[in-house]
Amino acid sequence: MKLTDREQNGVMILEPRGKIMGGPDATLLHDKLYDCIQKGKTKVVIDLSRIEWMNSTGLGILIQSYSTLRNSDGQLKLARVTEKIQSLLTITKLEPVFDAYDSVEDAIASFE
Amino acid sequence: MIKPVIKGNSIAIPSDQEFLADVDVFVEGMLRGYGVDESTVADIAISVSELVNNAILHGNKSAVDKVVTVTVAKENSTVAISVSDQGTGFDPTQVDNPIDDENLLKEVGRGIFIVKSLMDDIDIQTTDRGTTIRITKSF
Repeated sequence: MKLTDREQNGVMILEPRGKIMGGPDATLLHDKLYDCIQKGKTKVVIDLSRIEWMNSTGLGILIQSYSTLRNSDGQLKLARVTEKIQSLLTITKLEPVFDAYDSVEDAIASFE
Repeated sequence: MIKPVIKGNSIAIPSDQEFLADVDVFVEGMLRGYGVDESTVADIAISVSELVNNAILHGNKSAVDKVVTVTVAKENSTVAISVSDQGTGFDPTQVDNPIDDENLLKEVGRGIFIVKSLMDDIDIQTTDRGTTIRITKSF
């Protein structure tokens, strides 16, 4: 997995790419999120459109991100969730946990 | 063993998550060679990654002198994949249900549940000398 990030209207947008299968993937996203929180950036969107697939490690990262931000008075939104990831969220009953939007713009606007 | 070894339709890796990508490249390559559609390739790749993670972390407890072996086979339009570790086994009945309310927000514990959801069949053979999990999926 590779990870890029950008900021728009005070919202951090994280853009992971590739596959999330375990090992170093978890550390990469967690470290970036921790860095955001340290800088006071607690409104975060994860754009999942470029994730080919993820396994339970990826779901664990999303849950960890959700919990970490919530404990820091922040919020996590998901954007452009792929069909494959949506299917995993449905199977694992995690769908209602996350606020998900069809576009990054909609996710950013939801913070206002 | 310090790096992956491929022999025919099998790949063996040291018990280090660094080698997950090697397994994925090998398995996805085999599946595409069999003519498996891309959606099914992804479902199988997800399942194999779950089993290999479990084999490395829980089976072999990340002991790099222990090996995880993945074997891929095809019979007609069904793929069968076996993942074996050299650990001390586990009790499959003692795995928590990840969709129970008290487990829903746990960061771990969904691997086998996801495999069972995505694959047609799963067979777990576990002893104090290792575990082999065989999954099948038609395409």
